[in-house]
Parts: sequence; structure tokens; C-alpha cells
Amino acid sequence: MGIKMISNGIPILVNLEEFDEAPGPNCMSFGFGIKTLINSIEAVGLINTPFVTRNREGRLDIVAGYRRIMALKAMKYDRINCIDLSDSGLSALEKLLFNLYDNISIRRFNEVEKGMILKRMMLYISKENIEMHYMQLLGIKNRREIDILMKIDEFNETIKKSIADGAISTNTIGLLYDFDNRSSSFILKCISDLRLNFNQQLKYIDYLIDISIKEGKSITDIMDEDWFLELLKDEDLNTPQKARKMLNLLRVRRFPFLTNNEKEFDKRIKGLRFPVGVSIKHSPFFEGQDFRLEIVFKDGKELKEKIDTLAQAEGLNGIRDPWREDS
Amino acid sequence: MKIAPINKIIIEKGADEYEQTSAILKRLDEPLVERISPDRYREKGEFMDMDKNTLRLIPFKGEFIKPCPGTKGYICCGYLILHVGMNCPLDCSYCILQAYFNQPSLRVFVNLEDELNHIGHIIDSHPERIFRIGTGELIDSLALDHITGWSNTLSSFFKGRGNAVLELKTKTDLIGGLLSSPYRERVIVSWSLNSPYIVSREEHGAPSVEKRIRAAKECQEEGYVIGFHFDPLLRHTNGKEGYLRPLEMMDKYIDPKRIIWISLGCLRYIPVLKSIIRRRHPRTDILDGEFIPGLDGKMRYFKPLRIEVYSFLREQIEKWASDTGLYLCMESNEVWMEGLGWSPENTGGLSSFLDKRVQKFVEN
Repeated sequence: MGIKMISNGIPILVNLEEFDEAPGPNCMSFGFGIKTLINSIEAVGLINTPFVTRNREGRLDIVAGYRRIMALKAMKYDRINCIDLSDSGLSALEKLLFNLYDNISIRRFNEVEKGMILKRMMLYISKENIEMHYMQLLGIKNRREIDILMKIDEFNETIKKSIADGAISTNTIGLLYDFDNRSSSFILKCISDLRLNFNQQLKYIDYLIDISIKEGKSITDIMDEDWFLELLKDEDLNTPQKARKMLNLLRVRRFPFLTNNEKEFDKRIKGLRFPVGVSIKHSPFFEGQDFRLEIVFKDGKELKEKIDTLAQAEGLNGIRDPWREDS
Repeated sequence: MKIAPINKIIIEKGADEYEQTSAILKRLDEPLVERISPDRYREKGEFMDMDKNTLRLIPFKGEFIKPCPGTKGYICCGYLILHVGMNCPLDCSYCILQAYFNQPSLRVFVNLEDELNHIGHIIDSHPERIFRIGTGELIDSLALDHITGWSNTLSSFFKGRGNAVLELKTKTDLIGGLLSSPYRERVIVSWSLNSPYIVSREEHGAPSVEKRIRAAKECQEEGYVIGFHFDPLLRHTNGKEGYLRPLEMMDKYIDPKRIIWISLGCLRYIPVLKSIIRRRHPRTDILDGEFIPGLDGKMRYFKPLRIEVYSFLREQIEKWASDTGLYLCMESNEVWMEGLGWSPENTGGLSSFLDKRVQKFVEN
């Protein structure tokens, strides 16, 4: 059956109970809302007829129109018109591509959906073929991303939902690629619980990997430590505060020498008892040579007062990189 | 040392026109040959092995000679990179080339000889300037010499060019080509050295420090000017003792009065390399140090840790010899001052220092 014949297919009435809730072998929808679709169907009815095919068990698989059918089910429809492609002669791959192109013409896929597509495609065509013909179509940047997206399909529904919602980034999944499932699940759960932003996610995993290797401990052992469990339970902190505290504790553990120096510098500056609104900062990671003085003031008079106080402050000679000996 | 065999040659469209292609094919023992058009060819190399058993012969269309890109905020040696090829049969865990995994296989630019006229013109047009040119940036200068014959081609090109020197940087002991070359006067051969701990754990495929230093001795005895690069320096358990070993061997085999320069440089890496290293070398501990983003965005050891390493090595090297042309690679003025006790202040200053070393050590 050619494209023209498919579009000219005569609709048949199908019982909605014949469809499973799962997307089946051809569809690639995850993490979508059907409210807009329901509103549309309520307003103008079902504009595009879904395409279906009968599987070996005799039940119906959706070839195109999964969201529409889910919406109609939610609207308590019993039966709808569908075009049956069972005798179309289309191969399994062709049905999959039918759905792919049906979707890609009107929307972008989320990362979970891309993973679903790749997993399904891989059943019929080689990875090399996918790289050559579909990477660009799916907006996949490189080969490694294919592996990462396919890994997403192995996660549980909650994690997948966080990924589809954009709360967990592909870069984060990429960092977890070589982890065992238990460690990945631990990490992803923590990311979700503490609502880490993308930058925090990458830092968190980076610190964990480094500490795990350096200390010869597994990721799960680190996350089972008392400090971590207590932090999660701490009722005095809200979620963003917990996230920041956790990252800071991991950073101190990962960079003891650097963080000790930062602490020592802050202590010395604090000891100088500058007027309110005067602060001194070191360069990021002390890599630059210079320090930065900041004075907040209302007017010239206040500025002069602050400069005078500052000029008379004792211990200015002590402002230097903290690791240097007293001169 | 043994270099992994070349099992396959990929010849890019247009490469057959150059003599070096047939010369390379003659030197190899009937490898599988595939001729390709690069615009239609899809890389098949595996990420993990970088396809180091495949040699790709390329008529390179880009610039053969470029200034070392240097890096923002740090002092560069100001040398020029001669692009003769790319990728390396050695497999050092810290190597930047791993970040180019979309360009696997060993790559040789077969039109080098044709391009030398152009490079010669540049050199000859600026007699007032000293051109320090090296091939060891994106490939080990000698690791493929037995196949490419680069040392012979290039040393004959540099012969008689009084304002240019060629630096061949290597981790190998593959000096056969050099020893058979009659043109030695404008060639500096330099070895990248490290502590035996780092060599054995991280410089996969490279010979021991002692073998490298013995090769250096042979070259020095044969009249070559030699140099050393302690780069990348890596902090590790018993690191100070570890870095004394190559110095002891240098003391045993090398005449310090005929070393043009020794450079020191702590490991720095672009952030993206970290996860690649973790995947390709899961047992490495080179990433355990306290690395921070530098002024150029590359990761490097926290400043006092670098200064400590440089001060230590400077002290040890100066105990051995006082005039070794010691310099730092990609470091700030401040680190120079504290690590070496002086600073060239900027890239121009370091270039001038190294040019003077050339004038002193290389015959005119």
C-alpha cells in the first residue's frame, strides 16, 4: 500500500478497549498532557483519524494517534473510527517511521522519547544506519548521545518523568552512563529530592565520582554515610539550603587544601573588622594575582569616612594568599 | 620499544598523488588498504581504542604551520607548530588528543614535502627572526618516523637555514632515523620525561624513562642538541622521590652543558577531557589532585601546589647543573617568580630567552 492508498483508507469503527495503555511498538510519546487535546476534541471533534494495526495476539497496536486515543479514552468514548493498516503490507520499521514522521512534523521529542525511538529503531536497523540517517532528524549531536539516550529507557518512570520535564539533563545522564543501576538510581533520586539545577547536578556527580575513586568507596556507600542521611532529614533547612549544604560538604571533602585556604582567607578578612559595606575578595580559586576591594557607600562623605577608617585599620599587611608565610 | 602494528591504511582521495603515500606503503607489510572520499566516509573507529592500528594518509588542506595557540593569562614559549600529522600510537591517559575522538586513527599529511617550499619562503623572508618549529604538538615527533621518514625529510629541509630550528619532541627511543640522517645541525631532539610511577601507569605504550634518557645520550653523542620536557608534571604519592629518578638518570647519562632547555609544566586539561579520561582509563589517579579552572578555562592544580612542584624541581635541577635553560610552560608571571625565582614577564620575554638559547647551542 502506497502513501496515497494509506491516506485514502476507509475508517473502521474500533472498540477502545482493544488498545493497551502503553504506547506499543510504534508510538513514541512520553510525559505529555492531554488536556489541550481533550479541549480540542470537545470543541471540534476528532479531526485526524488514528491509524492502527492488529498484532499477533489479535489486539490493536496504534501506528499513529496514541495521544488522541488516550484523550478519547479519558473522555470515556467507547468506540472511534480508525484506519486499519493490518493489510497494508507495511513492515514493522515502516510503521515505526510512519509514527516518527507523523510526530516530527508537528513537535519536538523530549529526551525520553528520543530514547524510546532509538531503542525501537535498533530492533530493525543498525546503529551505523541510525547515525547516518536519523541523528540529525532527531537533533542528536554525536554518537555518544545515542548511547546516553538509550540508557534513559532503562530508568524507572519517576526518573523518566523528571528527564522528560527537563529537571534532569542529558549531560547528567551522560555522566551516569557507566554507573551500575543502583548507584544511578541513588544519585537521580537525590537530584530529584533536592531539586538540584543542571549546574548543581553536574557538580554533585563530579564530586561524588572523584571522592569515590580517591577514597576507594562506592557511590552508594558515600550516600549511605550518616552526614548525608542527617542532612536529608534536617528540618531546619529548606530544600535549596540542603542542596547547597550538601554540595559544600562534598566540595570540602574533594578539595581540602583549596577550601582550607578559602576558609583561612575569609577568617583573616573577617578579623580585620572593616566598616559595614567594605569587603575584600580573592580571585576565583586564588588563580589571579590580585584581590578586589569593594566599598558600598551612600555619598562622598560616607566614602571618605570609610576610606579613612580603612586606612587606619590594623592588619592590612596581613592580606595575602593564605598559604604564604608571614613576611 | 615496540609500536603497535598498522593493520590498515586509509588513503584519502588525492593522497595517491604524493610520493610519500607510495613510500609509506612500501615501508609497511602489506596492510589492508581502503581508498576513500572523506566527504562520504563515516568514521568507524571505536571510541575506546581511537583506532590506533589504522593509518590514514591525508592530503592536508589546512595550514601546515601555526603559532602555538598559547593560552590566555599565561606565558607561552612562542614556538611554531608544524602539522605533519595527528594522533599518536602511544596512549597516555592524560593526552588531549583523546578529546578529538571524532577523528580517530593515526593521521599523516602526505603533502608535507610539497608544503615545505611555502614554509621555507616564510622562514627565509624573515632573516631577523628565529623560528623555533616543532612537530610534537598533535603527534609524537618520532613514534611514526620509521613509517613516515619525517626526521630525514625535515632535517634536510632545516639544514642551512640559519634562522630556524626544528624541535622533535618524543617519548620514544625510536632514534634510528635520526642516527642515519646526515643533517643534524639545526635539529633539537627533546624527550618528554616523567616519574617512573607515572610512566608505568599512565604513559601506555611508551618506553621507560631510562630508555628515553639512553636514547637522548646516544643522540647527544651523535652531535644532536637535546632538550627535556617534564610535562605533564603530576602530583602523586612519593612524587618528589619519583621525579628524582629521571634526574638521577640524566646525571648518569647526559652532559648537562649540552642541554638547550628543560621545561616544566603541570598537567592542565580542558574540562571535557575529564570524563573521557575516566571512561578510557578508569584506573588512573591523575585526576585525584585539586584541579581548579585556570584563567584560560583549562583545569590546573591549585596554584600553591604548582609552585611547590616547580620550586622542588628547580632546586633539584640546579643542584645538578646551573645552565639548563629551565622554563615553565603556560604559567603566570607570579608562578614563574615563585617557582623559578625569575620571570620573562610575558610571551615575548620567554621567546627571547629561548631564542638566545638557540643562538648559544645551535651551530650557524
